[in-house]
Amino acid sequence: MAKYLAKRLLRSVLTLMVILSIVFVLVRQMPIDGYFPNFEKLSEEQIQNGLHQMGMDRPLIAQLLSFFGDLLHGNLGISRIYRTNVPVTEILGPKIPVSVRLGVFSLLLSMIVGLPMGTMMARHKNGLFDHIGTGFIVLIEAVPAAVYYLFIQIYGTDLLHVSMLYDASRPETMILPVVSMALGNIAYYAMWLRRYMVDESNKDYVMLARIKGCGENRIMFRHIFRNAFVPMAQYLPTSFLNTVIGSIYIESLYSIPGMGGLLVDVIKRQDNAMIQAIVLLYASVGVIGLLLGDLLMVFLDPRISFSKKGGDR
Amino acid sequence: MRKMVALMLCLMLMVACVPSLAESTTFRTLYGSEVSTLNYLITSTTWDMTTGANTVDTLIEYDTAGNIVPALAESWEVSEDELTWTFHLRDGQKWYDYAGNEVADVTAQDFVDALKYVLTAEYDSSVEYMVDAANIVNGDAYFNGDVTDFAEVGVKAEDALTLVFTLAQPTPYFLSCLTYGCFLPAYGPLLEELGADFATSNEKMYFNGAYLMSEYEPQGRHVYVKNPNYWDAEHVYIERIEQRYNSESATTAPLLAQRGEVDSAGLSTDILDEWKATNPDIITRSRMHTDYSYFYAFNFDPQYDAEYGPENWLIAVNNENFRHSIMSALNRDYIMRAEEPDDPASIMQNAVTPATFTSVDGTDFTKLAAFDEIEDNYFNEEKALEYKAKAMEELTAAGATFPVKMLVTYRSDDTDWENQTILLEQQMEGLLGADYVDIIPYAGPSDSFLSKTRRAGMYSFMRCNYGADYEDPQTWTDPFAERIDRESGLHTGNTYNKMDKMLDADFAETKALMTDYYAKVAEAKAISDSTASRYQAFAEAEALLINHAIVVPFRVSVRDYQVTKLNVFEAAYAPCGVCALRYKGQKVYDDFFTAEAYAEAEKAWLEATGN
Amino acid sequence: MARLMHAKIAEAEAHASQALTQDLEESVLFSVAPFDERAAESTGESNYSYWRSTLRAFRHNRLAMILLCLMLLIVLFTFIQPLLPNQYDPNLVTNGSNGLPLKNKQPSSEHLMGTNSIGQDLWARLWAGTRNSLFIGISVALIEALVGIVMGVLWGYVRQLDFLFTEIYNVLDNIPTTIILILVSFILKPGMGTIIFALSVTGWIGMARFVRNQVLIIRDRDYNVASRCLGAGTWRVITRNLLPYLVSVIMLRMALSIPGAIGSEVFITYIGLGLPASIPSLGNLINEGRKLMMSPNLRYQLIYPTIILSVVTVSFYIVGNAFSDAADPKNHM
Repeated sequence: MAKYLAKRLLRSVLTLMVILSIVFVLVRQMPIDGYFPNFEKLSEEQIQNGLHQMGMDRPLIAQLLSFFGDLLHGNLGISRIYRTNVPVTEILGPKIPVSVRLGVFSLLLSMIVGLPMGTMMARHKNGLFDHIGTGFIVLIEAVPAAVYYLFIQIYGTDLLHVSMLYDASRPETMILPVVSMALGNIAYYAMWLRRYMVDESNKDYVMLARIKGCGENRIMFRHIFRNAFVPMAQYLPTSFLNTVIGSIYIESLYSIPGMGGLLVDVIKRQDNAMIQAIVLLYASVGVIGLLLGDLLMVFLDPRISFSKKGGDR
Repeated sequence: MRKMVALMLCLMLMVACVPSLAESTTFRTLYGSEVSTLNYLITSTTWDMTTGANTVDTLIEYDTAGNIVPALAESWEVSEDELTWTFHLRDGQKWYDYAGNEVADVTAQDFVDALKYVLTAEYDSSVEYMVDAANIVNGDAYFNGDVTDFAEVGVKAEDALTLVFTLAQPTPYFLSCLTYGCFLPAYGPLLEELGADFATSNEKMYFNGAYLMSEYEPQGRHVYVKNPNYWDAEHVYIERIEQRYNSESATTAPLLAQRGEVDSAGLSTDILDEWKATNPDIITRSRMHTDYSYFYAFNFDPQYDAEYGPENWLIAVNNENFRHSIMSALNRDYIMRAEEPDDPASIMQNAVTPATFTSVDGTDFTKLAAFDEIEDNYFNEEKALEYKAKAMEELTAAGATFPVKMLVTYRSDDTDWENQTILLEQQMEGLLGADYVDIIPYAGPSDSFLSKTRRAGMYSFMRCNYGADYEDPQTWTDPFAERIDRESGLHTGNTYNKMDKMLDADFAETKALMTDYYAKVAEAKAISDSTASRYQAFAEAEALLINHAIVVPFRVSVRDYQVTKLNVFEAAYAPCGVCALRYKGQKVYDDFFTAEAYAEAEKAWLEATGN
Repeated sequence: MARLMHAKIAEAEAHASQALTQDLEESVLFSVAPFDERAAESTGESNYSYWRSTLRAFRHNRLAMILLCLMLLIVLFTFIQPLLPNQYDPNLVTNGSNGLPLKNKQPSSEHLMGTNSIGQDLWARLWAGTRNSLFIGISVALIEALVGIVMGVLWGYVRQLDFLFTEIYNVLDNIPTTIILILVSFILKPGMGTIIFALSVTGWIGMARFVRNQVLIIRDRDYNVASRCLGAGTWRVITRNLLPYLVSVIMLRMALSIPGAIGSEVFITYIGLGLPASIPSLGNLINEGRKLMMSPNLRYQLIYPTIILSVVTVSFYIVGNAFSDAADPKNHM
């Protein structure tokens, strides 16, 4: 187990390095005038001087090496355009907790609502509840999030008499963003759990339990749910990441100072240090998420073990 | 029921047509994109500059009518040869930190230190060019490293309260340069200590202006509180300014304003009709800005793909009748409806230099004799067709093919501009005929837009804009200025319409025109003893460009529709610099400023400014 | 929208990971049978027709049939609409009697869905937009399928390439999609081609991985081994045994990636990298409409494109699922 983990971690670090190198090279293909807000008023000397300041007049390899060198010392660099001369860590520092909190809350809510919903839909398959649930799922998946988020914001704030903007000191302003973000995941969890549970319920062990005289509820929750939940658990960490990245709409609408639109923002402004830092962050979370997902599977399902499942990913 | 309420509201608003002041004097707004820096010594963007403008005092400032009045400098004098300017600072002014703690005295040395910071190449200031524009002795030389001793630069603190600028040549517009970021003071020891870190947050800068920036949470909020010790604090009425970040502010702000969560919101053209139908009484507008001028330019160095026929365009654009046919066919009133649905005439300009930008002996620059016949160049269907007939004949002889493909470039994320281009295509093709000119709207990218379109020569005919740097007509010749490659001595083309390239090209007619124009500009620049003749000369040069249809003047900045609790006419009015960004002098009223009250305030303001 | 995955895909993936980790000895799977001449001569031919059975199974799903008809009608109508009498050009600005653009006009007999904020006919724009969006979606799905299948088969069949492809997958899968989308739009000018390219660049790898896993499992499935033992050639194994199983899931993936691509187009438009307004699409219609959400009287400009988008999404989803059920040979009994 320990050996497997060590090997797996090493591979993850290598993967991260490759990703960072690719992104590093890619962002340096962007037009240089994007680095200067008043490009047209600058002379050639000033432009060269500016590039020199950024260390961008050196060969690509040298830049890349010094980037990894700085990274080893925990130095992610300094933002140039997004917030001039501010260390990247200082910018990301306060934003990460905001997004993580929003993500965790919405994920919790979607599990609290989505899992029972999926279970109930499977329990009453083809019944009224199943149809209503399916209708909800189809609606959420079909209507673009950009549209129903706005709808919830306009009418929700009016209904609850809360401000349309997020205010850290007033927790009630957090409700609607969390609910909006959870809707997609609720539909997702309910849909999948229902499908897995319906599949499981046709299996022999369920029949055995029924023959032994287990109550239908006991079968549902003690037997089927536990087995159906295993494949879903693997995707939980990844879906958390997707929730955070996908919060761009919500964070813009409610003025939440999180990470949501940051990546888009810094790419458009060509702030290389920021792009690299965020890619590092997202890619690490992605890689760690896969690892955690696998660990979670092992933890939940005793049949799966690492000894057999070599580092396939 | 709802109609009744609306009616009642209307009645109430009419009764209360003279707005009353609000009890609380907090002003709340939304902003849609975060500043990239608070460092007013290096930034050149309007929004970044807002902090510096409101928290740091300038030597001089503009009043509501656009006159230069004393601010941090109580008085000043200029030497006989117009090369030495001496400013006497107000006594007893202090620097404060974000929490309002007194830090130090404001001295003349603070201006010297700030200018040294601007001229230090390492800090990469984007407003350094203004030091050069103001003709400060050795300014550019120090920046480029040709002069290494800052004592040789033309700025000195003679004593704590006396500041002296030395200029390389007489500069009639020097005072107007002083409201630019690069001439704002900064506390020297702090600059020394922080270097590039200066003003990276509100805790890393000191304030001496009307406001202190008490909170700065990027992509969160900016909060300013009034500086009670500011020398003119009695004219600072808003006690607290709260700006919240919302990247969807264009969509959310109007609703938030209706719900009373913000005190001001812009109304984009797409929702304007709805607001006019439901709340016509509270729609007001921003004041006329003359700091930017928009004009359609013909490109003399097309660099686009062969499929759009750049060579054919080059032949066509060098034919004056062709250019005139386009200029006369362009219905500016109609296409401007995309951004100014109601009153295009209010922002339309017949010259590149905006009306009211500057005047001489009581005559507005754009009313000088040189501009007398200027209106004959604009929209006239009959003339357009006459020009077309002549151009077709001449161009056929010159070997051009029809229809002439004309790439009209716009920015893909600017809906109003895009709509304007759609209107332009439809209107001009309808008038001139698709057999004569084939207009191709071209969507430029939203990022690095200018470098990929205008500067790269990716257009035939395009709306360009330029902002004034100082209060002198010379500033409006800068976009068209000659650019020469040092080694080859050839013209590289200005970044606007590249017309100076024609000085080295084979089109005799255009070449003569350009030679004439640049000679006129050089002549005008050399005149510094008489404002009247200087302006006269600049006016002649500019009129030459317009009468020969090289550029098609269009408008000044659009006056945004908005709902606001401010009276926009109480703000400083400045043709350039940071003063127009200040909240000083403005009051928050307890309800949205009504259209009626706005009309009266506008009338009073126009009378005060003498326009 | 990628999460609108069918259970079958997940099931297949799960089987894949299981099958790939099980290294069963040949002796466990097979035992030597006594030679029987008659059995050896029999080739297992039957009159079973895969596609006929698929169609028959599909026709049994009434809802899917209705939605399929609806979808076909929508697609057909996007082509017919411009040919109908009294239609406007989607980019034509209608001028009112005062010579100025007829803006924000409520739906009427003149303009069935009203006009937008510069006076263009929304009915015409909606259908042109649907046509363009469907074109984008279908192109992306086809490119993804083509590149994905070729790469996936190579990945699955050529053992030497497996390591390389797996590493490429690990890397590509972890680069945020937005980076690629934005970089592509930096390089190319905004337009149809750019959008299709940007969406396909990120989409094919998922399909390739999926096909690779399927190829790996199916290749060594008992019935294939059996077919080969019974004398079927590689071609016959691929067309009769492999493809039918793959077709169902590949078709499903394609059916789902069409609304997926349309959804991504809405997102790209939202972050300001979408198509210019002169090329109407559901993405820019919805994005223009979004800005008017706060104005109740103008909301009609948002509602119509949203309805079309929702109908298209749901139809592709349900039809795709139904078709993949029908295409599964297991359901042909």
